[in-house]
Amino acid sequence: MEEEQKRTDWLGRIGRSLADYIYGMATHESTRFALKTRGSMEHLFILITMGDLLGVPILPPYYSLRLLPYVVPQISTWKRRMLREKDLTDALA
Amino acid sequence: MSLARIFRDHTQRRYIMFGGKGGLGKTTFSAATAYWLASQGKRVLVFSVDPQASLSDIFERDIYGKGAVEIIPNLYAQEIDADSHIKAYQEEIRKKILDMYGLDQIPEEIESYIQAAAAEPAMEESAIFDQVVDIVVAGGYDYYIYDLVPLGHALYYLSMASVYDQWISKITALREQMREYEQMAARFQRKKELQEDQILAELQDIKYRIQTSSGILTDREKTAFFFVVVPEEMILIDTQKAAGLFRKFDVPISGYIVNRVLPDHLLQSPNLPEYLRNRYVMQQNYLDKIDSIFGDEVLARVHEMERDVTGLPMIERLAKLMFADGAA
Repeated sequence: MEEEQKRTDWLGRIGRSLADYIYGMATHESTRFALKTRGSMEHLFILITMGDLLGVPILPPYYSLRLLPYVVPQISTWKRRMLREKDLTDALA
Repeated sequence: MSLARIFRDHTQRRYIMFGGKGGLGKTTFSAATAYWLASQGKRVLVFSVDPQASLSDIFERDIYGKGAVEIIPNLYAQEIDADSHIKAYQEEIRKKILDMYGLDQIPEEIESYIQAAAAEPAMEESAIFDQVVDIVVAGGYDYYIYDLVPLGHALYYLSMASVYDQWISKITALREQMREYEQMAARFQRKKELQEDQILAELQDIKYRIQTSSGILTDREKTAFFFVVVPEEMILIDTQKAAGLFRKFDVPISGYIVNRVLPDHLLQSPNLPEYLRNRYVMQQNYLDKIDSIFGDEVLARVHEMERDVTGLPMIERLAKLMFADGAA
């Protein structure tokens, strides 16, 4: 009985790994893309809600404050990124 | 048409506002209307959205920042203390940050942002705007009377409502889109549980608050907006302009009330000074003009009183004048 149980577990594991493997091949890129897009949007989102931190005045600070606690961990990376980002004209110059 | 009849015919109008230039009697009319409604057995809250509110002065009681204070049975008055509201709000944000990340001190950069944000010129108005939502959402009254800020400011308040409205809709949409990508990734990775997006939840709450507040200002069913005018040329011109702008913001204008009208019995006095006679004739001229411009939207003419309207006995007298029932 115990032997039987072990074998099913083992088969189950193989099945799951196989499924993971196939999913990985099919969707890894899409997942990466989705997360990357979301990441960029996150920066855009902080820019339009917390722009004041960079000196871009954004309406209305009263409600921005309510969101502040949630973005505290992201603020330093976000500022670094915003100040680092260059546009095409910089490259041409 | 009379003011009393407007109230009787439209009992569903629960949000009452008086608008007009500064010093024409908005607070006086707000207080008198609250008094009249309360004496009819309605539960009324009159509250001020003006940082320089004067309800305390008219009721001759210090109600500033004390919540809804009962003046007489059924009549409650409230003056919002924006400053201490903002301070409490900042403190709440700080506490949330400390709790969320287990910090003992707010990072310097964050702290300076919290302070800078509170110093913004729009902060006080936003805070009052937000408090109004708490007041009306809490319920408990049959009528809410807004003692509004003077015209220019009221327009600012209205445009603020519509700007906030658009702002919040845009960001909420962006946040929802972000959520979709997150969900997509979670599906690919076959994660069952996705953490709730707290920012989205906050945004939806903010959106609800803003839309409640701005929704009331433009609700034709439940809101009545009255303009206060006095028979003077400048006031008349400004009021017409303002009425046009208010209409653009879809504010339901329910009528006009003329204040500071010199009483007719003055003319019977044999030794009426020339000065007063001239004022009287001038006023008649503008009263005719008011009638021809606004027609039956003019709901009441209220006499100039012999003294300031402060204290309950004067408010009662004024309420009688305002709601004297001619037509109905």
